[in-house]
Amino acid sequence: MSKYLARRLGQSLLTVFLTISTVFVLVRLAPGDPASAYAGPTATSDDLARIREQFGLDKPLISQYGIFLRDLLTGDLGTSYSFHSSALDVVLDRMPYTITLSVAAIAVTVAVAVPLGVWMARRADTSRELGANVLTIAGQSMPDFWTGVMLLTVFAVLLPVLPASGFTSWSGLILPTVTIAVLQLALISRLVRREMTTALASPYITVARSRGVSERALTWRYALANSAVPLVTAVGTRFAALLNGVVVVEVVFGWPGVGSLVVRALETRDYPLIQATVLVTATLAILVQLLVDLAYPLLDPRVRLGKAA
Amino acid sequence: MTTTVADPARPERPSAVTTRQLARSTAARQRRSARIKLWAGAVCTALVALPVALASLLPLPDPNAQDLSRRRLAPFTDGHLFGTDQLGRDLLSRLLHGGQVSLSVGILAVIVSGLIGIAAGSTAGYFGGWVDAVVSRFLEAQLALPLLMMLLLVVALFGPSVTVITCVIAVAQWPEVARLTRSLVLVEREKPYVAAARLLGMRSWSVLARHIVPNIVRPASLVILLLLAQAVLLESALSFLGAGPQRPFATWGRIISDGQDYITTSWWLVTLPGLVIALLVVGVNLLGDGLRDRVRTTKPTKLAKGA
Amino acid sequence: MTRTPPSETLSRRTLLRVGAAGGAGLALSPLAACAGPTGAPGPGTLTLGLNRSLVSLDNKLNQFDAAVTVQRAVRQALTAIGPGMKPTLVLADRFEMTAPTTWSVRLREGIRYSDGRPVTVEDVTTAVRMYGEVAGSFILGLFPELPRVEATGGRTFLLHTREPVPVLDRLMANILITPAKDNRPEELRSGVGTGPYRVVSANSGAGEYTLARVPDYWGRRPPVERVRVRFVPEESSRVVALRSGELDVIDTITPDSAEQLTGLPGVHLEKTSGVRLCQLFYNFRKPKTHPLSDPRVRQALTYAIDGESLVRDVLTDSAEQAQGVVPLSLQGAERTGRFVHDPARARQLLKSLGADGLRIRIMWESGEFAADTSVMEAVAEMLKDVGVRASLLQFEPGGDILKWRQGKGGDWDVIGNGFPGPTGQAVTMLQAMYAGTAEDERTGDAFMGYVNPAIARQISDAATEADPAARDRKLAAAQHAVWDTWPCMWAFVPKTLLARRTRVEGIGLLPVNSYDLTAVRLEG
Repeated sequence: MSKYLARRLGQSLLTVFLTISTVFVLVRLAPGDPASAYAGPTATSDDLARIREQFGLDKPLISQYGIFLRDLLTGDLGTSYSFHSSALDVVLDRMPYTITLSVAAIAVTVAVAVPLGVWMARRADTSRELGANVLTIAGQSMPDFWTGVMLLTVFAVLLPVLPASGFTSWSGLILPTVTIAVLQLALISRLVRREMTTALASPYITVARSRGVSERALTWRYALANSAVPLVTAVGTRFAALLNGVVVVEVVFGWPGVGSLVVRALETRDYPLIQATVLVTATLAILVQLLVDLAYPLLDPRVRLGKAA
Repeated sequence: MTTTVADPARPERPSAVTTRQLARSTAARQRRSARIKLWAGAVCTALVALPVALASLLPLPDPNAQDLSRRRLAPFTDGHLFGTDQLGRDLLSRLLHGGQVSLSVGILAVIVSGLIGIAAGSTAGYFGGWVDAVVSRFLEAQLALPLLMMLLLVVALFGPSVTVITCVIAVAQWPEVARLTRSLVLVEREKPYVAAARLLGMRSWSVLARHIVPNIVRPASLVILLLLAQAVLLESALSFLGAGPQRPFATWGRIISDGQDYITTSWWLVTLPGLVIALLVVGVNLLGDGLRDRVRTTKPTKLAKGA
Repeated sequence: MTRTPPSETLSRRTLLRVGAAGGAGLALSPLAACAGPTGAPGPGTLTLGLNRSLVSLDNKLNQFDAAVTVQRAVRQALTAIGPGMKPTLVLADRFEMTAPTTWSVRLREGIRYSDGRPVTVEDVTTAVRMYGEVAGSFILGLFPELPRVEATGGRTFLLHTREPVPVLDRLMANILITPAKDNRPEELRSGVGTGPYRVVSANSGAGEYTLARVPDYWGRRPPVERVRVRFVPEESSRVVALRSGELDVIDTITPDSAEQLTGLPGVHLEKTSGVRLCQLFYNFRKPKTHPLSDPRVRQALTYAIDGESLVRDVLTDSAEQAQGVVPLSLQGAERTGRFVHDPARARQLLKSLGADGLRIRIMWESGEFAADTSVMEAVAEMLKDVGVRASLLQFEPGGDILKWRQGKGGDWDVIGNGFPGPTGQAVTMLQAMYAGTAEDERTGDAFMGYVNPAIARQISDAATEADPAARDRKLAAAQHAVWDTWPCMWAFVPKTLLARRTRVEGIGLLPVNSYDLTAVRLEG
């Protein structure tokens, strides 16, 4: 178990390290110059040279990378050019907003998708199930930013009942959450339906039924419990994909999270901030993945980690 | 439960199971679902794809012809079916011509990602060992990372040309294909015909390329339609975030993001392009889903033939 | 056989999940504090929605128009630029030129920071030094040279410059005063000022601030008790939030937003002529033989542009065509001519100059000015009508446009460029655009390659002229000379636009796109 954990941790660290290194090189090879974005339109070449020196951008790439790694070891991700303060702090300031949105979106998705999937499994291949299926597919097929803009128009402009942007009240969470949930619903509900169909047809259910267990208990306690592992896996692996949706949705709803931050950091070529954002989000996504893996034995006593991986 | 009694009026049927009961059987219902999905998908897809493909033949105004005196006309005015945009250009024409760019980006991206994915996945599945380890690590890493951020970076890096966007989407999508191919190859390589080919002294590469890959291309290609749907969405999201193909290409995402500023006064500038995208993607998704369901329900016979 | 679909087990399980997830969200986020039960601002709170993130309440590195409004509410300078581009006294009660290179200043009596410390001459000396030491400051670029401070008493001091800087009193409006002990050559993250408001909560990462009235402010007590500053990047979100009353004021709005908001109940628009100049500027680095090196070709192309229709239809009347080489609202600006639309003449002139069939490339950066894309796409069509093929090259923010501007990126012919006039002085803008020298050009620093030694001499001569009347005369002559070189294909001056809820009164919007928060009132 601990050996398995050590190996997984090692792999995760390696992934994060390779990612951040790739990003380090990519941002520096990209056209655009942080100094000119920083100094504004009136800067002279002398100003720019001075700023580059201040940022340490005048050094060769390899020594910049060395410095970056050295600072990384001490937990220092550099000073954001546009916020004039620790890039890590800026990202961590914004992270709660993104996490709140993601968690709310996952919660809503699961809360709707599980009953829907169960219902679909019990009504398998009826017209109504087909209708529900097509509806979730439609939700999945709408561009997320468009769904967001549409919801915004209806609930903030035509019937001004919900705030349009930002996080000034908990009601501001509703529209962005729904936008993400609409996108994720199809995947999760279909997964639940598939798992439930298989489970409901398996011998242990027949045995339980023959012993007089009620239909309701059969569905919710016996069959659904068996779908927990694939469900948690799916939610875990979707987390990274979910963060993609979050970037777009944050921009649409002016949500002060990490997604809108990275778009801005790219515009100003704020290298430390881009690196910090990618590092933090990648770590988070991989951590979630790891937690999901570790949760298997809790959900399914048959699973023992490290045996057959 | 209930006992079925054969209908005495139709004695020619050699079974107690009526056609009606057959039609209500799970298999029949599954087939019906798949058929409905296929048809609905085909209709939705055709509704968008055909006009897009024929955009230059249709009697439409030039997508770039401006008329500043006829800006933001509502749909159905002065022969503008979808109305006009903020510069008085015909929205329908822009959507259809823009769709050509968006769709070709999507299709190309799927082809490229299919090629990469099949190559990487089949190599990993067949050879195993360190090749498998490297490919699998890549897959895991990419699935675990918030990709859109990376894609934005790469587009910024190489500039937003159609080629770059295509490649970026292809790179975003290859893991799906690779994962599926790998698992298919893992099954396939244990089959007797592979052992036979090896015994005959064929080299591994040619076994893989000549015998295994042709057998897995068909099942692997089933995900391609689903990937196409994702590719169209991804392209529009990139355009929306300002990383779409350089102007004057009016891609779908760009039309929406340009129109977003007019949402309270000119609803059609955002609503209609979004509906067109959604219609196409729903269609393609349903087609892909239907095909997959059909393969699933007819699997036994196919396997019997194949084996 | 109807079943009861969502059974108790489910709802309990789901509730548990939702609860756990929500709890995790709560625990992880220190958001609960800043999130009230509703989004609408309270009766005594003014909520401003900025479209750029206010990184700090210091302006050493971070100055955009709307930021000035908020920054000045917390930190103040010796002077401010008031109505009519005239300097008004703030922390100083005397600011006089006693010799061409010397100014005598006296601090107002009894001025204290919000924490009770008095303002000293030392604070001013330190402030000037700190602004000089910070790299890449936009403010520094406005000063021909920073003055030297010489203390002459407890409240009095002299400002010395090497060359005469006749607009020093206006320039000093940009140097915000902070206690010397706390000032650093960097953007200050916290700290106090002398202004009517102090910061009670700040999240600079998200650009959100809450300001509260300082109880014993030295000046007139501002009517509004609390000011909340929010960062709402998407223009459409800002418009929607203003409509619903979530925001009280949105500034720097686009012409389209203005059009959408016109006539809505509860919303009022403020307009004033602006100080920003948006130009389609020619590339002055073209080889001698290129048609665009000929001023007559440059002039001929101006006839292709239907400026009236651009202003009316694309910019929805929230801009004016330029009638000079700088915005007329600047002090010292001169009316030098007008852009005329005459496509037939353009075609004929181009033909007679052998420049028909010209192909040009127009580049700009997204967001350079309002409706930039629409303007460019419209211009390209207009050029097509006179037989000139224009291709568009749009840069995303953060891209390489600066390199291209400096002639190091690639070949281009016309650039869409917006130029700010934050000092309110024509001379600052003229110096930045038209006083480039051959030496500047060696590093690509002359504005779009514009090097004209005679004009540069005229401008710098005017800039150091101490007599106001003579200075205006010299400046006017320089502006006529510039106009005659036809530096741009078209230019316009966007109006400064702001939208407010009708409950907000007393916003005296200045052409420099800021206003005095102490004059703002909330009704009802």
